[in-house]
Formats: sequence, C-alpha cells, structure tokens
Amino acid sequence: MNTLMQDVRFALRQLRKSPGFTLTVVVTLALGIGANAAIFTLFDQALLRMLPVDKPKELVRFEWTGAFNGSESSFGGDPDNYFSYPMYKDLKEKNQVFTDILATDRVGAGLSWHNQAEARDGETVSGNYFQLLGLHPAAGRLFTSQDETAKDANPVVVLGNEYWKGRFGSSRDVVGQTLMINGRAFEIVGVAPEGFDSAIGGFKPAFFIPVTMLYTVHPWRGLRDDLKNHQAIYLTLVARLKPGVTREQAEASLAPLWHSLRAYELTLYKEHSERFAKHFVDESKLKVIDDSQGFSPNRGDLKTPLIVLMSMAGLLVAMCAINVATLLLLRASARAREMAMRYALGAKRGRIAAQLLIEGGLIGLVGAVAGLLLAPTVAHVLVSLITSADPGSEPYSAHIDGRILLFTLAIALVASVLFSIAPVLHFLKPNLAATLRQNSGTATKDSQRFRKIAVGVQIALSVMLLGGAGLFVRTLDNLRNTNVGFAPDHLLEFSLDPGSSGYADSHVSRSVQDSIEALRRIPGVISVAATTDPELSGDGTTNGFQVQGYKAGPDENLGMESPQVTPGYFATIKQPLLVGREFTDADRVGQPKAAIVNLTMAKKYFGSPQNAIGRQITDGDPEKDGWSTIVGVVGDSKHLDLRTLLKSAVYQPYFADEHPNGVEMYLRTTGDPKKAESAVRQTIHALDAALVVDGLRTMEEQMDQVASHEVALAYLAMGFSALALLMATVGLYGVLAYSTEQRTREIGVRLALGAQRSSVITLVLREMVIIAVIATAVALPSIVMLARLLKSQLFEVTPADPVTLMGAVAVTMGMVALAALLPARRAAAVEPMRALRTE
Amino acid sequence: MIDLKNVERSYKTGHTETWVLRRVGLTIREGEFVTIMGPSGAGKSSLLNVLALLDDGWTGEFWFGETPVHRLNRKQRAELARQRIGMVFQSYHLLDDLTVAENIDLPLSYKNMPTKDRAGMVAEILDRFQIVAKKDLYPNQLSGGQQQLVGIARAVVHAPQLLLADEPTGNLHSTQAREIMELFRELNKQGTTIVQVTHSDENARYGSRILELRDGWPTRDEQVLSAATEAQ
Repeated sequence: MNTLMQDVRFALRQLRKSPGFTLTVVVTLALGIGANAAIFTLFDQALLRMLPVDKPKELVRFEWTGAFNGSESSFGGDPDNYFSYPMYKDLKEKNQVFTDILATDRVGAGLSWHNQAEARDGETVSGNYFQLLGLHPAAGRLFTSQDETAKDANPVVVLGNEYWKGRFGSSRDVVGQTLMINGRAFEIVGVAPEGFDSAIGGFKPAFFIPVTMLYTVHPWRGLRDDLKNHQAIYLTLVARLKPGVTREQAEASLAPLWHSLRAYELTLYKEHSERFAKHFVDESKLKVIDDSQGFSPNRGDLKTPLIVLMSMAGLLVAMCAINVATLLLLRASARAREMAMRYALGAKRGRIAAQLLIEGGLIGLVGAVAGLLLAPTVAHVLVSLITSADPGSEPYSAHIDGRILLFTLAIALVASVLFSIAPVLHFLKPNLAATLRQNSGTATKDSQRFRKIAVGVQIALSVMLLGGAGLFVRTLDNLRNTNVGFAPDHLLEFSLDPGSSGYADSHVSRSVQDSIEALRRIPGVISVAATTDPELSGDGTTNGFQVQGYKAGPDENLGMESPQVTPGYFATIKQPLLVGREFTDADRVGQPKAAIVNLTMAKKYFGSPQNAIGRQITDGDPEKDGWSTIVGVVGDSKHLDLRTLLKSAVYQPYFADEHPNGVEMYLRTTGDPKKAESAVRQTIHALDAALVVDGLRTMEEQMDQVASHEVALAYLAMGFSALALLMATVGLYGVLAYSTEQRTREIGVRLALGAQRSSVITLVLREMVIIAVIATAVALPSIVMLARLLKSQLFEVTPADPVTLMGAVAVTMGMVALAALLPARRAAAVEPMRALRTE
Repeated sequence: MIDLKNVERSYKTGHTETWVLRRVGLTIREGEFVTIMGPSGAGKSSLLNVLALLDDGWTGEFWFGETPVHRLNRKQRAELARQRIGMVFQSYHLLDDLTVAENIDLPLSYKNMPTKDRAGMVAEILDRFQIVAKKDLYPNQLSGGQQQLVGIARAVVHAPQLLLADEPTGNLHSTQAREIMELFRELNKQGTTIVQVTHSDENARYGSRILELRDGWPTRDEQVLSAATEAQ
C-alpha cells in the first residue's frame, strides 16, 4: 500500500513537473473521452436502455403478418405494429398467457390551462396502462380499469412528469383541477412517476388520457366510431408475460385465438378474394416480441447513424490513446537515464511497469473527468440535432448518469492501459551501460518504429474520418439542394388546428379561411395556403381509392397519398400545375367534387396528364359518397422526406370536407421568411386568441429537421474528423520535432559534407511523405469499403466519390505539410559547427 | 592558398562577449601541412571551423586562393566548401544507417555528379585505402581506426584542395593513430594541403608548420622539422 501511495505521489509530481505535457495529454484525452461519453449518452438511451418500469424483461409486444385492408394510422414503423381497439379487447380478455395487455397510441392535442393554450403531444392509453407497467404516481393517482369504461365517459388526465415540472412547477395542487384538452374539460387525477416518460421508447408525452376519450383528440375517429371499428388499426399493444411463460410459448398459445379472431374479422369485409382470405387468416401470424426497451419506430432510423457516430467516436478515442502513447514515448526518451538509474539501483521490472501504469492511469483519470465536463454540452448538441424535436420536448436527455459515468471510466481505463503499454515496453529491456554513459537518452529503433507506425495509423484514421465526414457532408448538401418538386425557399409554415382549441367542425373551416385571409394581409407575404398533409414532415396520409374505368388486380392496393389543400396551394408552394386548374373558392361543401392528381398517378392510370382531366375517382363509397372529377394535374414532388418522390397522389379540396381537420399553413414571402414570424403570431392571436400557432418555422428549417439524422451525421462527423486531424497533426509534429532533434548530429555531418539546406528539408520530409503515402493507400480502400456498408445513409454520392476522397487526402496532406514545416525549418537551420560540437 | 587578415570571432552571452579568435593573421601555402595547437579553449577548433567555412560569424578578411570568402554569402561559401574542402572529425561522424561505401559517397551525392562517375570514384578510393572488403559493412561493424579511415576516405573522395582534420586521432590508440598520420602525410605528399588540430606533439611532427594559439591569439608560428625529414 505504501509503495502504491509512493508511486501515486511520484506520478503526481511527474505530472506537475511538466505542466505543458500534462495539459496536452489531458486535453487530448478529454476531447476523445468527452465525445465518446456524449455519443454513448444518446446511444444508451436510444438503443440499449430498458424501460424504467417494473420487470421490463417480462414485457412483450405484438406484430402481425398477413393481409389487411382498412384504415391504418401510425406514428412510425410498419402497419403490422398496430391493432384495432376491438382486437385489443379480444386479445386482452381471451388469452391465457399474459398477466395483462395494455394499449397505447400517440396523439397531439391543444392543451389550455388558465387560458394559456399550447399544442402538445400525449398518449391515449388503456386503463390498465400504469398498473401493467408497475408504476406509482408522483402525485394524485394513476389510471385504473375504472377509467376506461365507455366512449367519452372518462374525462380524466394524468400529466407527464416532465410536463408537470415545467408547466406546473411540480405543484401537487394541480390534482383535482381542470385542464382543457381540445376544448373539453379533463380532471387532472395524477402525475406519472419521475424518470418514466412512456411505454413508447424515445417519446415524452405531456399527458395521458384514457383510450375511451380518443374522439376528443381525434374527432374524425368518432365519425366512424373507431373504438368499435375492426378495420381501423392505430393502437400499439404491450403485454406482460405470466411468470414462467416464455415468448415462444406465448406465441404458440396465441395462434388458435389469433386465427379465430381473424376469421371473424374476415366476415366483416363486404367482399374479398380467396387469396385475400388465405393471407388474412390462414397465413397470418401473431408474433410476440421483446418489448423491454419499449416500441420505438425511431429506433431503427437512429440505429445506423448512432452506430456510425459511436464508431467514429471510438476511432477518435483510439487516436487519442495512440497520440498520448506517442507523447509518453517521447517523454520516455527524456526519462531513459532516470529509469536506467532505477534499474541500476535494484528496481524490478514489475515495479517500473506499475509506476508507469499508475502515471498512465492518473492521466486517464484526469482526462476522463475533463471529458465528462465536456460531454453534456456535446450530448446536448447531439440530442437537438438528431431528434428534431422542439426545444424542451426532446425525448433524450443530455444528463450524465451512473451508466455513462461507468462507461467513461471504462473507456478511460482501457485508453490508459493502451497508451501506457508503449512506455512500459520501452523500459522493460534497458541498455543500462549505454544509457548511463550518454548525456541524454536516445531513442531505440523499436520506439522510433512505434512512433512511425503510430503516426501512420493516425494519418490513416484522419483520412478515413475525413473521407467519411466528406461523404456525409456531400449527402447533406445534396439533400438540401435536391429538387423537391416545389420551391422551398421563402416559405414559412406552421400548424393550425382550431379543433384542438375546442372548435366544432362547422367552425374549423371558417377559422382556417379567416386565418388565410388575415395572413395574406401581412406585408411581404405574397400568398397563403394550407394542407392537411404537411410537406417533408415524415408523415403521410394514405387512402384506398377507386378509379372509374380501372379494374384493379385481385390484391392490387390503390392506396394513394391524399392531402386536402386549400385554393392556391400549388401556386403558394410553387409546385407546377401541368394541366387544368387549381382548386378555387367554388370547390366547397355541396358543390361537385373536384380532385387534382400528380403526374405519376395521371400517367399510371390514364396514360398522360391530358387524359386524366375529366376522369373520376373516389376514396369512399361511390354510391353513397359519389365521384370526384379530376380538374388538374400537378408535377411530382417529394413529400415524406428528401430522398423519395411521392408515388400516386390525389389532392382534394379542403373546404369541401364537412369534417375538416387541422392544417399546415404555408406562407410565401418576398424577403426572409424568418422576419414574418412575429407578424404571423400577432396576426393569429389578434384574429382569435384561442388559436395556437404551433411549430412555426421556415421550409428550409423543416428540410433540415426531416434530414436531422443526416445533419447530425454530417456535423458530428466533421467535428470528429477535425479533432482527429488536429490530433494527427500534433502527433506528427511531436514525432518529427523529436526525430529532427535526434538527427541533429547527422544533419550537421551532412551539412559539413556539403549538403544543401533544401536537401536537408527533403531528408526530414521524405520519411513523413512515405508514411503519409502508405497511410493514405491503406485508408482510401477502407473508406470505400466502410462507406458501402453505409450506403443507405448516403444520397446522390457514391462511396468511392473521387472528389470527396481526394479532398480528404488533400486536407490531410495539407495538415501533414503544416505539421512538418516547423521541424523541417529547424532541421535546415542546424548549424553544423554546433551540431558537431558534442565531442 | 589561404590568407586570413585580422580574423576575429566572439560569442555573446547576455551582456558578456567572449572572444575566441583575436586578430588572427595567417597565410597557408599550397602543399603545406599545418598543425594548430594550444590548450583547451585556445580557439583551435574555432579557427578550423572558420577555415572549413562552417562558421559565418567571424569578421576580417579571408581569401581562399583568389576568392574573397568574406564577400561571399552563405550559399556561395557552402558551394566553395563543397568543391574544395574536405573535413575529418575526431568522432568520425559516420552515419550509422549508411554502409561504408554509402558514407564515402555522401559528399559526392551533394555535387550533382552522375551516379556512374560517383561509383567509379568511390571504388577508386576504397581500393586506394584498401577497404574494398569493408564497403558493405556498417560503421558499428568497424574498429575505431577503420572508422576513421573511412572518415578520411570520405573527406578526400572528391579530391579537395584543402583537408581539415579536427583531432583526427583523438579517439584512437597509438598504433592506429600512427597509421592515420602516415596516411595524412601520404596525402600531403600527393599535393593535398592539410590543416590539423591536435594536442599531440607526436602528430604535430608529421606536419611542416605549427601554429599555436592561446586565448584566441596566435602566439607561435614556426616551421618544424617533420618526422619524415628527421627520419631522413
């Protein structure tokens, strides 16, 4: 113990003795470890962490396979993750393998508290939601099955813990008070526990309401009574396995029940083919899958970018370790005599190794602490970049908790051992006589070789990181400049949902109309229009259509994107009208129904845009709802995201709907659309203080939001590669400066024998050029290989893009030249007379 | 061949100026073998560095033949040294990573000569110094005497007019030292002007003239009866 303390004291003294060296290695490590801790903070929350509920490993959820023909609405992922409410009730009541099953869905609603309205995300949940998860309230009570009795009969709300803290200052007095949700009074009965957000992974709802109150937040579901509708799927189901039951057993046990329920559902279809029936019942399966982390459709999207970033951060920390090892080796040469003396005085190898490891460990520890101080800032930037959520409602936290702390310490420990190995090996076989005879220590060939390899590895990693970053930056640039089919510049947008302020259907379209007219009067606004299906938001609304005169194949799905838009919509967003006309004020309720289709739809079903005009189409029952006549054809556009063109789309007039939804409003401005933001808020507030302007942003900001993963990848990859380059430069400089110093005598001899200064510079640089060329030769194919694995993350740039790769090489070589400049100049300035005066 | 007039050299350390050469006037004729002697710190090596054109910080006049060295810039001086001067060091200063042949080739490689010519000259000098068998060995595989032999071969391979040697036998035992000094005398006989710095009276006797320095001042300059003459 005494020995250990003595070694620690000595190590501390060593670090204090050379503050410049200590600072350099600590900053180097802090950058590497901090970046790792930050990425891991998000990686852990998004991909590794289990739900903070009772026995999360017992939780499972369901996915079905087979055919479906009905209405599907989701908050991400495939339709097979979603179920109807009647199906939920049947599975819950008739199964033998689960303790219980809960149902949940994401919703958005207008919340009003003391006349302060805001739009927030929430969850409609089954009454057993909190019980099944084993949660206890932070205040008041949580739901029970008594809160899920009948349609519209349970106006009670549980607040999300974060929302309660932020909006209500953690006041327990709110329990029992009234919160207006979409204009309806709900009694606040309790608050969800701290640390719990939702059974849906990566989601932070402000409120929970019983699923029986669904029609308050989704009035349109009420129109077709979705709580009884087997053909409307929108609920995610989570179950808790009975003790001793495995997922496989549960799945096997559920199969007969599932088939009988599906057979019953098949009878509800008016007509179906035999093939459909086979798909729907016989071939359909209910899969029971692990849900310990909570269902998150985003997890799949986040996985690759996070793995890429984690790998980059890993490379960065490897570079840090190599760099520190190089610096320690340089210092080791200066300490050769000290170590030789220790050996000469009887020190054993183990003792010398232990001392060096303790020094390394201390450096690692200080680096880890500094890295942890840095990590929350980086993590915060990362969370806001990658999640594209509004500030304050990000689903992930930048907080450093115990797990991150442990991870960071583990990284620091591994890095410390790695970078301590080099000096330990250096001193394991000392040449005592030679070292003690010399005035100063000299490098062994082994340590020189290590330094050269270390520099080579750092250059190679820099080229790889820069190349990768270059590909991501080009991807982002290509996405930002991609032709989306309309003009995204000078566009401002926001969501407006009069329904969430409590207005009835009859008032909603009036409110939207008034808002459009008021907004048009803002100076600098050229035109205003709205849609129910926002552009480039990641969300879509698909309906099944019938095209008059077109006979669909047996299983052909005529699902088409079906936004409702106001007159002048295409002119406002500048989506070209190819044939026919836009909707006008005449396209209203009671008037003949009109529709506009996109080019793909027109070509697919009618051969050409011209042929489409006058043809008829419907997404309802032709006998009951009638047909819509196609009056115009617009160009194709990108709608869900920046990568893919929308397939078939049928636009319908917003004001022709008797039960209109909320809209996304678009304003085209003459100047910077940002400047119109405050005028927009004032105008809507002046028009109706109850209306909420939600998510006000420019279309370009929206494009960055929909490409948030690409933005995060590009920015962070650039940051990492810049750090990597900096480290490689510092490492390279260290090695070159040291080797130049070591070669002073040689350079002196050469100059004395007639060498010109330029040839001395060449001599110094040649070694570096050889290392750099080898490193680049290794790095370039590696980038291409790795980039192939990440092809899905790239856009309009190939993994072997020559401009990007050459750019990465050029930047790296520039930094190599910069790092070599000073040592080369110093070598050229060697005075032979002085260099040779060592005798 | 060499004419120094009032050459002075000093080093500044803070506010103190230390003189290492004071008003040195010296004429060395072609074919002479001059020995510079004196106690440690007398300025011997400093004078040799001035003659070798390795030092630029002196004042005074320095004529190398008809060339006024004091008027040349650094680059011109380096070129002059490259063409006409050879240097032998006490510690040999062979480059560890080069073979004997490569070490000897080094000064030629700085002269923009065709490789073939260089190879011929190296082969000739290896033969002349009888070290052909050692041409592929590295310095650490040679004895001290052999290393100095290579050092001298390297110094004379480009046939310099002036050969400068700084304590050339300082690291050798007496037998090896004698062999090296015999070699110098041979080179001198063949026409090479030699200037050596030494502490050894025995080595000085191989030369034709002794110049003594004390505290940077020339205190003695006399012709000596060389060992060869004595032997005769």
